[in-house]
Amino acid sequence: MIVDMLRVTLNKVLNGAKLCPKHIYIATRAQSGEVKKPEKVEVFIDDKPVHVEPGTTILQAAAMVGIEIPRFCYHERLAVAGNCRMCLVEVEKSPKPVAACAMPVMKGWRIKTDSELTRRAREGIMEFLLVNHPLDCPICDQGGECDLQDQSMAFGSDRSRFTDIDFSGKRAVEDKDIGPLIKTIMTRCIHCTRCIRFASEVAGVDDLGTTGRGNDMQVGTYIEKMFLSELSGNVIDLCPVGALTSKPYSFTARPWEIRKVDSIDVLDAIGSNIIVSTRTGEVMRIMPRVNEEINEEWLSDKSRFSYDGLKRQRLVTPMLRDCNGELKPVDWEAALLTVAKVVKNAGPAIGAIAGGLADAEVLVAVKDLLNKLGSEALCTEHTFPLDGSGTDLRSSYLLNNKIAGAEEADVVLLVGTNPRFEAPLLNSRLRKAWIHNELEVASIGPKIDLRYEYQHLGNDPALLQQILCGQHEFSKKLISAKKPLIIVGSETLERSDGAGVLGTVQALAATCTGANKDWKVLNILHKVASQVAALDIGYIPGVDKIRDNSNLKVLLLIGADECSIEKSDLPADCFIIYQGHHGDYGASIADAILPGAAYTEKQATYVNTEGRAQETLVAVTPPGRAREDWKIIRALSEIVEAKLPYDNLNEIHVRIKELQDFYMTDAISRASPTMAKCVQAVLKQKQSKY
Amino acid sequence: MSLLRQLLHRNVGVRTLNNSVCRNKVRFLTTAAPEVTRETRRKKLIRVDKKEKYPVVSSDECFALLYTFKRTLELRYIQLHPAPGSTVRKSDEVARGQLKDFGKYVAECLPKYVQTVQITAGDEIEILITPEGVLPVLQFLKDHHSAQFSNLIDIAGMDVPSRPYRFEIIYNLLSLRFNSRIRVKTYTDELTPVESCNDIYKAANWYEREIWDMYGVFFSNHPDLRRILTDYGFEGHPFRKDFPLSGYVEVRYDDEKKRVVLEPLELAQEFRRFELSAPWEQFPNFRNAHPAAETVETEEKGKK
Amino acid sequence: MASSQSVKRVVKEVKPILSLDREEARQRVLNLYKAWHRQLSYIVKQYDIPKNQEQCRQKLREQFTKYDEIKDIRLIDMLVIKGQMELKEVVNMWKQKGHIMTYFKDTVEPKPQDFLSKFLSGKD
Repeated sequence: MIVDMLRVTLNKVLNGAKLCPKHIYIATRAQSGEVKKPEKVEVFIDDKPVHVEPGTTILQAAAMVGIEIPRFCYHERLAVAGNCRMCLVEVEKSPKPVAACAMPVMKGWRIKTDSELTRRAREGIMEFLLVNHPLDCPICDQGGECDLQDQSMAFGSDRSRFTDIDFSGKRAVEDKDIGPLIKTIMTRCIHCTRCIRFASEVAGVDDLGTTGRGNDMQVGTYIEKMFLSELSGNVIDLCPVGALTSKPYSFTARPWEIRKVDSIDVLDAIGSNIIVSTRTGEVMRIMPRVNEEINEEWLSDKSRFSYDGLKRQRLVTPMLRDCNGELKPVDWEAALLTVAKVVKNAGPAIGAIAGGLADAEVLVAVKDLLNKLGSEALCTEHTFPLDGSGTDLRSSYLLNNKIAGAEEADVVLLVGTNPRFEAPLLNSRLRKAWIHNELEVASIGPKIDLRYEYQHLGNDPALLQQILCGQHEFSKKLISAKKPLIIVGSETLERSDGAGVLGTVQALAATCTGANKDWKVLNILHKVASQVAALDIGYIPGVDKIRDNSNLKVLLLIGADECSIEKSDLPADCFIIYQGHHGDYGASIADAILPGAAYTEKQATYVNTEGRAQETLVAVTPPGRAREDWKIIRALSEIVEAKLPYDNLNEIHVRIKELQDFYMTDAISRASPTMAKCVQAVLKQKQSKY
Repeated sequence: MSLLRQLLHRNVGVRTLNNSVCRNKVRFLTTAAPEVTRETRRKKLIRVDKKEKYPVVSSDECFALLYTFKRTLELRYIQLHPAPGSTVRKSDEVARGQLKDFGKYVAECLPKYVQTVQITAGDEIEILITPEGVLPVLQFLKDHHSAQFSNLIDIAGMDVPSRPYRFEIIYNLLSLRFNSRIRVKTYTDELTPVESCNDIYKAANWYEREIWDMYGVFFSNHPDLRRILTDYGFEGHPFRKDFPLSGYVEVRYDDEKKRVVLEPLELAQEFRRFELSAPWEQFPNFRNAHPAAETVETEEKGKK
Repeated sequence: MASSQSVKRVVKEVKPILSLDREEARQRVLNLYKAWHRQLSYIVKQYDIPKNQEQCRQKLREQFTKYDEIKDIRLIDMLVIKGQMELKEVVNMWKQKGHIMTYFKDTVEPKPQDFLSKFLSGKD
């Protein structure tokens, strides 16, 4: 019920007082519709005039004229707290400096962000903050990217008044244990409460809070408890000091010696934008990159922390199964010659299965190669109903209304999906809409905890039929909704009655179109990164075509590790080639292994569940003798004498474009010890009585 | 004696009144005067000239004294005169005026060669000349009675590829007689030779060889222009901006051939790169730094 | 007017390095070539290199013809100056065996050109 209280109070804040961050502001405006726009007020910031909406804070107005005001507690995606006082500025005729982040501007105010009073106020605040902050920057992981460090350089005093060299009174706080991902050094905490606000507003986990007052104030969980959220890693980025740091990354690298590469996450179908930090050919950490349309500035824990799996259980050299049935490392020449011989003998009796991490380039290369050899047996591991329009229409298998569009919805029906784990960032959008936009959520499927309230309709697909016929009470809500959304999990569609579910949902979507013509009701939420690209390129969803083919001679697995096909499903003499980057299930049944590159090691295109094509970039080189995936297929094609007509990335991109109008849980996580620790921790937490 | 002069010159808070050293007595103009008098009354080292309010000491006494109080005075000065927001050394207006006057004088004497006279870093004089003027200007600065820059401290090069004359040649001179330094700058490109000043300063020999080696600037009439730092057979000039940090070739010992071999460079390991952008650059106070150089108005300029 | 200005800009006056005209530059190149050529027999004798005089002569010719295309007098002069310095380094025995053999590049493997050999060697 605490969450409900938050919802009520927040709404009150939003609609009553005009104290709101930018994004909320947009939401309220969207609601009010054609209401006459309030007149803009003129204020002067360092004598620069600026016209802003009434209710804009001083800090936002200053940002509009390019003046950055220092802050610790203020964050544009969180509610305003106003407790760090770092953003104090002088306002003419005001006797005291005011906190810029919480003070809405009034007409004609003259604000001075660089006056003597402002500077003295900042210096004083900085001194107070540093009195209780340890001087352990040399051993602090935040060192070099620490807001406190930077701002004390810019705004702090250049000498200390701290004379207590015996350290009799310096504050110290015991560290908390909030799980295997986040390391806490609570003595460093400056009580900005960003983490607390993130937890309760965005993650929906009201576990963090403060206890004590004044000098005894502490941020923590009160009782020892894990911070159990799929978005927990974001508090590391939010923390302006080194109080919350990444546990796996601790003491491994310094920010100034790191190389940063912009890339795309592929561990779910959202395609979050990420920054891969590397040093000396090793991925040191992964951080989110701002993309308002996809992940805002958040990242799910799986995407953030499973990078250590990229160094373990890797396939580093080509391997062939010898006469004793053991896989032996060989060099590329031998591997390619052997594989080419088998492929040549097989002719058109060859099939391919694409796994969840395959990129668009390798999918195209494999398709071209198999088509040249006369085979059409190209499948994906995850199935999708082919009845009706099947995969011919792109809109039938996409998250059509886009991820950011979920924020505007007023009624959402989840069908057989748990967005909290399948797409945590979509779930955070839904939660945002639930808090700020009066969103109503209903779900058909297993009862789950989404971190916001929803109506659980039941676990029976037949309910869909009832809603369609108008027999269910929910159908009224759905039809009267202005912006309804139906989100169908791809797992539901893999069931035997998946085709029926999809048909019903499509019919249902057709009945409730909402008020807006451009609003798309039907949305499919995929679980793996490769699925949309594979369907775009023309792969057949599901492995039935391979399973039914009794004279298959060669099977090519492109990172297919989900046990969708077993050795017993195939003819006894079928030669299995596994091409991928991790020694997982697929590699264990293979006769030949061709080591490929993981997503941090290649420039490759991925299409997310919205149908948005994005490109990863090379952050590190593939380990050992591993090669970029499409190059392996290209090299193989030359030896098989079915040479593919592209030699570099540009040429294959041209090929992808002509093939399609491209407007474009997995092996890595399983190999990651961090992820394993998380599983252990969750199990332990479940046994705990809290 | 020259050590004392250097000390005086270098010292932040202390300088001689008329920028020259008296034979027996040194006069201090110091804002930390009370401090000095208190200390020295105790040690009976410094007499205070009541009329001028400044301490007066004999040079022998002050020599030892300076060592003792140099640091104290410096700190005291910094504390009394903090620049707003930072503790940057303040330049001395009297010394600056003298440097400016000298710069104007040089520009007047050699109007054909001197293009600009400027003061950088507060109290360092720079004379920017045409490449043709290297010999006359250096000769003038060395031999003129009130200059006597008899020491060539070093010659430096600088490469700015965007300029039409991409290289700058910088001569740093020292006058021991007047305890003063001056910098002479000229420019050239890859193919324009510069006159060697070896006949004026013998020290120039190796410095010019170094510049030839590092930048590829040819010095005409140099007695022995050849490489000085790079290996025999080395190709290219490493200090040019278009020369890659890693070079073009790698050297290794070949055990088969029993000799050192040179091969085209192949970096197996990723090249280490650092991110050097400062995080507080977004705050505007740190963007508006003072200009590095201040141009001195010379006669020539004034006419225009 | 505009054309005369642009012509002026193209033929800007430059300070010569050594030679004043093409003929003089040509003479300097020939002199340098002859000087090297005269030294070849001594070089082969003095340095312990697995090359005979004929091979060295070919290499010398190759080093000179490499710059056939260069017509700028100042560039030619600069190359002559560097060639002269190099000759001095060789004749005075400042260079060692390895330096001389670097001209022949006998340990450098040619870079892979086609896709397959690039793939197998793992180099782009």
